[in-house]
Amino acid sequence: MAAPLLDSMISGPDRLIRALGVLAGTLLLAACGAREVVVQGNFPEPLMDPLPITLGVVYSDAFAQHEIFDEAAGRAETDWLVKTGDAQVEFWNTLFGGMFQDVIRITDHDSLHARESEIDAVIIPYVADLQYTIPLHTNVKVYEIWMKYRFRLVPVTAVHDHENGDLTIDPAEQFADWTLTAYGKTPTAFLQSDEEAVNLAAVVALRDAGANFATSFTRVPGVKAWMDGDTESFDGE
Amino acid sequence: MVNKSLPSSQTCNSCGGDAARKPGRSGSAGIALAESAFGPVCLRRWLGLGLLALCAALQGCVNATVDEMTFMEPTEGIGDASVVIMGRRHAPDYETEFDFIECIGDHIRRGDDSITVLHELEFINMMYPWFEPRTAPLRTDDIDKLLTQQRVADRFSEIKLEYMIWIDGSTVETNSSGSMTCGVGPGGAGCFGFGTWGNASDYEATIWDFTDEVEVGRISANTSGQSYMPAVVVPIPIIAPVQGTACDSLGDQLLKYLSAKL
Repeated sequence: MAAPLLDSMISGPDRLIRALGVLAGTLLLAACGAREVVVQGNFPEPLMDPLPITLGVVYSDAFAQHEIFDEAAGRAETDWLVKTGDAQVEFWNTLFGGMFQDVIRITDHDSLHARESEIDAVIIPYVADLQYTIPLHTNVKVYEIWMKYRFRLVPVTAVHDHENGDLTIDPAEQFADWTLTAYGKTPTAFLQSDEEAVNLAAVVALRDAGANFATSFTRVPGVKAWMDGDTESFDGE
Repeated sequence: MVNKSLPSSQTCNSCGGDAARKPGRSGSAGIALAESAFGPVCLRRWLGLGLLALCAALQGCVNATVDEMTFMEPTEGIGDASVVIMGRRHAPDYETEFDFIECIGDHIRRGDDSITVLHELEFINMMYPWFEPRTAPLRTDDIDKLLTQQRVADRFSEIKLEYMIWIDGSTVETNSSGSMTCGVGPGGAGCFGFGTWGNASDYEATIWDFTDEVEVGRISANTSGQSYMPAVVVPIPIIAPVQGTACDSLGDQLLKYLSAKL
């Protein structure tokens, strides 16, 4: 109510000057603020014969809320905040759902113990590293994202819940512990903002991570040994 | 059924781009000019149309070379089977443009609407993760490995895929020079200067017969051209349609191979 009243009290030229001032201020603040990308995309379900495994999945808070903040190195640059957490969870849920016969997400005490006897193994993904480049950094007309994941495959007995609701993993008890990398790039395009391009590169990188995981999972030595029934060959032993 | 075409090479130097190759377009511009009146009321419209016609006619020269070697041409067409055209994107320094693949697909669909050309992105998504840059088959021998996955084999049967065409290459800017200055004042705005740049396209299409799991042809198209932008108050772009010509060249040859009508 106050705003229209205030507007009616300002004469024409004053209003124009005021509007220009607001616009200039907004542009100035936009230039100073961090550029934020919340990664979003549509991820297809993998076309695979599902492995006969009931897999438990634990997404740590660090994974489910993963983000990278890159502070500007100079005046010509701006801060960047790239949030991948939601997209990571959505993507890996879709991938695991298509790759394995059954997938049970373990979030707390109840979900851990509800179907504990059915779970063959529990997987815990981590984002070990994430790097990105934009044309401003490299003078190459390509936006790139590089990610390094770490996966741990453990028996369900290695997952412990605590009174405060936290889940911990016993590092001594595991089938496999391995890393994989993923890369995504997208070229510059007309009328495409930096944020859109970084988002697209992140989606390509996630898809690449999924392709890498899907085609290499059964070849990871610890996983292969476990699937062959050699349960004594824990990596930790 | 078995047909072998010898390696052929075709070089073409066209100026005026689409306007020169497709008389329909320049013809329609001519009719528009003829219909306009010469009275002072219509002078502005006349000038506008003239400027439009000038822009349509002013296209840079493109030099195109097409090489073709194809075998086992489907002389009776591909029936109700389908074709997919995909770009190679595994090289670190370039990737085949999505819009270029789309352009070739559209060219084939326009030439023969009985040919089912699958949309590249839809195909990649429905076959995920087997056609990502990391996992896409590089040789026809890799098709067997793909078909060991029952769901993948079922999907291929469902879409009746007969030909898989891989396009590898890109369009790059080869040179650029000149300068242009633009200004805005209370009386108006304008530019003055001259700019020129060159583009070159280099694409190769590899045709795989998906049923027999063999390579049945390779077609390459190399095009290059120089674009110009003189500006005296108004910049006048004279663009050489380098990528468009490469798309038309490859599209024509692929259409000739796949279609029973041509």
